[in-house]
Amino acid sequence: MTSAMDTPPGVALPPPITERGGVGWAYANLFSNWYNTVLTFIFAALLGLALWFGLSWIVLEADWKVIATLGGRLIIGQYNTEFACPGQNCFWRPQASLLLVSVLLGMAWAVSGDKAARRIAIGVAAVTVAFAFLPYSMDQMGLDVRLLLAANVPAVAAGWVLARYTPLGTVRWMVILGVLFFLVILVLIGGVPGVPGLQPVSTIYWGGLMLNLLLAVTGITLSLPIGIALALGRRSSLPLVKLLCVVFIEVMRGMPLITLLFMSQVLVPLAFPQDFSTNSLFRAGIILTLFSSAYMAENIRGGLQALHPGQVEAARALGLAGWQTTLLISLPQAIRNVIPAIVGQFISLFKDTLLVYIIGMLDVVEFSRAFIQGNAEYLASARELFLFLALVFWIFTYTMSYVSRRVEVHLRVGQR
Amino acid sequence: MAASESTIDTSDMIVCRDVHKWYGNFHALRGVTTTVRKREVVVVVGPSGSGKSTFIRTINRLEEHQRGDIIVDGIELSNDVRNIDAIRRDVGMVFQSFNLFPHLTAMDNITLAPMKVRKLPARQAKEIAEQLLERVGIAEQADKYPGQLSGGQQQRVAIARALAMQPKIMLFDEPTSALDPEMIKEVLDVMRELAESGMTMVVVSHEIGFTREVADRVLMFDHGQIIEESTTEEFFDNPKEDRTKLFLSQILA
Repeated sequence: MTSAMDTPPGVALPPPITERGGVGWAYANLFSNWYNTVLTFIFAALLGLALWFGLSWIVLEADWKVIATLGGRLIIGQYNTEFACPGQNCFWRPQASLLLVSVLLGMAWAVSGDKAARRIAIGVAAVTVAFAFLPYSMDQMGLDVRLLLAANVPAVAAGWVLARYTPLGTVRWMVILGVLFFLVILVLIGGVPGVPGLQPVSTIYWGGLMLNLLLAVTGITLSLPIGIALALGRRSSLPLVKLLCVVFIEVMRGMPLITLLFMSQVLVPLAFPQDFSTNSLFRAGIILTLFSSAYMAENIRGGLQALHPGQVEAARALGLAGWQTTLLISLPQAIRNVIPAIVGQFISLFKDTLLVYIIGMLDVVEFSRAFIQGNAEYLASARELFLFLALVFWIFTYTMSYVSRRVEVHLRVGQR
Repeated sequence: MAASESTIDTSDMIVCRDVHKWYGNFHALRGVTTTVRKREVVVVVGPSGSGKSTFIRTINRLEEHQRGDIIVDGIELSNDVRNIDAIRRDVGMVFQSFNLFPHLTAMDNITLAPMKVRKLPARQAKEIAEQLLERVGIAEQADKYPGQLSGGQQQRVAIARALAMQPKIMLFDEPTSALDPEMIKEVLDVMRELAESGMTMVVVSHEIGFTREVADRVLMFDHGQIIEESTTEEFFDNPKEDRTKLFLSQILA
């Protein structure tokens, strides 16, 4: 009472100590009453125990040799074996692909100017260069392999310079170059008949993390536009278009991905020539893309339905045509609003890529499993290997979610 | 612009003849007949649900009428998409809830339609937008997003956005109803200036002061019909219908 009267009118006072700083935070969140205090101590004890046993296992007991043994094979599977690439060293081809990715990352850093892009570009450069000069690498890898790894640093720098000092530094050019580089990567890895040094490598031998990433990138870049088209089709006023889209979406969402992959042997030949249909990689790409598109379509449709009808009315009242209203007003807002759901679908697609083992492809997890089963001396190391793979997957998915949060921050400038 | 056209017909900017509109079974407009002449400012009043918003929205086909004729600037509104687009280019609309595009800056909100519909070069569209922002008194807010502007500022951007298409007619659907009292005046000032410049305007509004000062005519709606149509002085000083008297006594109280 007295303090209120002592306060001069119109002067803002600082909040009480319990609302401020570390002490205030701890008080409000950890020790606000007796049972919160008890819970805080219980969970602190559990956390401590988990950390103690976890760390001591990781450092003292676990045998990480299996990862060193597998090394680059985790990334490319059987790609560089004698069967896949007889009489040649094909390891440089995935490595060159990674260099192209690094150029794009450098460009993304310069174009977006965002800390996330910078961190990712520098992170990739740092990890690759570190691997190039690890004692393990000195021992196991040839000079060419290590030089190509270290070349990711100049590749990132080249991308950055390219975007900064040439007209290529726009989002539009990045998209064009991204698609172009992706096709170049497919040619690099697939090879060209008759070109020395680029002898064809059958897709049966594409494997490891490279396979997961190729499938995920294909699925992600194709499922977004297909999903948008399906979402618009489902909202179309043309009954036939609408019916087709509804049937496609509901059938795809109604079936487990594993079933679809199985059935792809029967289904894909109905729509594509025999040469493609017998190719497992092609089948897997089609099924993953279409499966993801159906979910994408529903995410986007949700975003479209959440739009205030006044937005479309205002656009039409200004004389914008229906397609202009959709492209310029509805879709940009709808997509912004469902970015978390879209990225969730991307992450889920990335994780689903390891189901391609169903149709006999050796993705990184299946390759590891097969390796462990085939090499009895490593049977006891399964735990270490799969924990490591879990960490690798987590790094990729967390990066995706981190990028999506940064994109949201950029797109929501000034929006409430 | 349209100098060669003959006298009487061209000065009729909006002609409505026996316009009917149903929402399902609900008969929202029940034979509306009226004419708005060039440079005229017509204010539409009436209790809520009387059909005044529906009426104003049929003029640029945001609502479809099922019977009767609407002729805007000599073009009849039909299902012909080309006619609808032509009319929408020449009729600006301002909404109660502003309906600015939240993902675009004030400037981009204004330049969008001139560039995409009238195909103006970006530079010219930007010049027009700058002039209009100046005219509505918020030139310094050009690069802000709608979410960063106050309600009154948003509505003024919305007016500038409609004016950027250089419309012959402006429709206002309760432009100040969603605004705080302090912001109503800044929007009404812009509308007043617009009326003085000779714009043909149809305004759904309950702003009595504005109506008395600016309107040439007042239309009183009730149950989907125009129950009284008279000059502004007559409407306020000498209303004929009992329903109008009751309505006036309620809003003037």
